Amino acid sequence: MNETSRTWYWTGLSLIGLVIALYVLFPIFWLFLASFKTQSELASLPVAFWPESLTLDAYKALFSPTHQKGQLLDWPQLIGNSFFIAITSTILVVFFGTLAGYAFARLNFPGRDLILGGLLISRMFQGAALLLPTYRLMNALGLQDSLIGLVLLYSAFGLPFATWIIASSLREIPRELEESAMMDGASRLQSMVMVVLPLATPALITAAMWHFVGAWSEFAFASILLESNDTKTVTIGLASFVELFTLEFQFVGAAATIVALPIMLIFFFGQRYFTRGLLAGAVKG
Amino acid sequence: MQNDRLLAYFMILPVVAAVLAFVVGPTYNVGTLSLTQVVMGQERGFGTLGNFRALINDPVFLLVMKNTAIWIVGGTLACVSVGLAVGTFLAIDSKMTTGLRALILLPWVLPDVVTAMAWKWMLHGQVGIIGQTLTSTGLTDEPISFMGDPDLVMWMLVVVLVWRKMPLVALILCAAIRSVPDEQLEAARMDGATAFERFRFVVIPNIAFSLTAVTVISMIWITAEFALPWIMTGGGPANASQIMATYIYQQSFEFFNWGVASAMSVVNLVMLASIVGLYLYINRRSWASEGTR
Repeated sequence: MNETSRTWYWTGLSLIGLVIALYVLFPIFWLFLASFKTQSELASLPVAFWPESLTLDAYKALFSPTHQKGQLLDWPQLIGNSFFIAITSTILVVFFGTLAGYAFARLNFPGRDLILGGLLISRMFQGAALLLPTYRLMNALGLQDSLIGLVLLYSAFGLPFATWIIASSLREIPRELEESAMMDGASRLQSMVMVVLPLATPALITAAMWHFVGAWSEFAFASILLESNDTKTVTIGLASFVELFTLEFQFVGAAATIVALPIMLIFFFGQRYFTRGLLAGAVKG
Repeated sequence: MQNDRLLAYFMILPVVAAVLAFVVGPTYNVGTLSLTQVVMGQERGFGTLGNFRALINDPVFLLVMKNTAIWIVGGTLACVSVGLAVGTFLAIDSKMTTGLRALILLPWVLPDVVTAMAWKWMLHGQVGIIGQTLTSTGLTDEPISFMGDPDLVMWMLVVVLVWRKMPLVALILCAAIRSVPDEQLEAARMDGATAFERFRFVVIPNIAFSLTAVTVISMIWITAEFALPWIMTGGGPANASQIMATYIYQQSFEFFNWGVASAMSVVNLVMLASIVGLYLYINRRSWASEGTR
C-alpha cells in the first residue's frame, strides 16, 4: 500500500468504527440526556438536543413521596428491594454453585456428565412458556408477592450457569495442589477451601457478576409475582411508565438511568471478568 | 471412594433440586394443564384437546404465528448478518477495534426494560429523534408513526432486537475470524485472491461451525425473549405485534384464559425443544465437554 491509500484505509476504518460506537451508545445516551431536560424542552418540536441547564428535577421528583407521576411508587423502596433480591440470590448462587461446581470438576460419580448437561439444557427452556406454571407454583407455595420467593426463583434459574462456569475453571486448576495438601493431612473440604477456592476467585467473581446483572434486570417473573407497592422492583417501576401516556420523558429517563447505573458500573469495572464467562460459555469453532 | 460418591451427590443436590422444582416441574405442569379443561382458574377435568382446538380457532392465532415467524426467523437472520459484518470489522487489529470490542457489549448487558424505554423514546411518533431526523433531512414529508403502524411495528421490534442481541454474535464471530490460520490467508493472497475472495473461500469455511452454532443459539435467545416486545408494544396496535410470548402473557394474566395460554406455552416449548435439539445435534462432537448459556 502506498501512502495515500493507507491514509484512506485508516480514515475509512475510523469512520466505520465511529458509526458502530454511535449506534451502540446513542440510544442510552439520549435517554440519559432526557432526564436532565425540562418539560418544555421535551415537548418542543424539534426536541432540544442539549438541555439548557442540567436540571435534577426529575430525579428529585422520583425520590419525593408526594410525586404523582411516579405513580406514587416509592423509588428508594424499589431500589432497596432490587438490591436485596439481587445480592441475596447472588450469594446463594455462588455458594451452592461452588459446592456443585467442585463436585462436577473433581469427583467421580455415576451420571456426572449427563446431569451437568441436563442442567445446562434446562436453562435454555426459559421465556414466557414457564410464566403461568411458575405463577401457579408460587401461589401454591404461598410465595407470591414476596421478595424471598423471587430470591428462590432467580437462584434456581441462575444456578446451572454459575455451576458450569465454576466447574470449568476448577478443571483448569492442577489436581496436584490439592493432592499435596491432602498428603499433608488436610481433609478434602479443607483443601478445597484453603487451596482451590483462592485460585478460583476470578471464576466466582464472573459467576457473581453474571447473576447479579440477570437478577437486577429481570422483569417478566417479577411482574407476575409482585402485587403490592412495597415488594416491587426497579424494573417494574420503570415499566410502569409505559401506562402513562405522556410526553414526560424526563421521568422515564431518570428512572432508566437509575436502573441502568449499577449494571453499567459492573460492566465497566468488571470488564475482565465479564468477558471471561461470555466467550467460555459461547461456541468454540 | 464410596464416601466421595456420597459427598458428590450431597454437593450437587441443591442445584439439581432447584432445577427440578422451578424448571422441570413447571414444564411438566404446563403440559398437563394444557390437556385440562380450565374455567377461570378452576380445573374441570383432565384429558381433552379442547385447549388446542380453542387456540387454533382463535382469530388471532394465525397472526401470532406470522408475527412470531418474523420475530424469530427475521430477527435471527438480521442478528447473524449484522453480527457477521460487525464481527469482521472488529477482527481487524487496531487499538480502536480493541476498544470497540469492550464497548459493544453494552446493549447486551443493559436491562430489557431500559432498552425498550430508550427505543420507545427514539421511535416516538411526535417527538422521537429518529422520525424528526428523517423529516428534517427531507427523507419523509410527515412524521412516521413507527410503533403505531401495523405494517411497520413488527419490523421495528426486529430493529431493536438486533441492537440488543447482535453484539454477542459479533464478538463470537470476531473470535472465530481471528482464529483463522494466517498461513491460509497468506497462501490465498499469494495466489492473487481479492479481499472478498479471501473472505468467501478462506474465512467463511473456517468459521462455518461457529456461524451455524451462533445462528441456532440466537434462535434460542430470541424465542425466549419476552420483556422487550411486551414493554415496547404490549402486542399492539390491535395485535399487530402479538408474538407467542406476549400472547401467552396476555392470555394468562390479563384475560385469565389459562387453557389457551397453556396450549400456546406447550407449542412454544415444543418449538424451543426442537431448536435445542438442533443445537445439540450440531454440537454432538464437543457436547461432552462443552456447554452454553
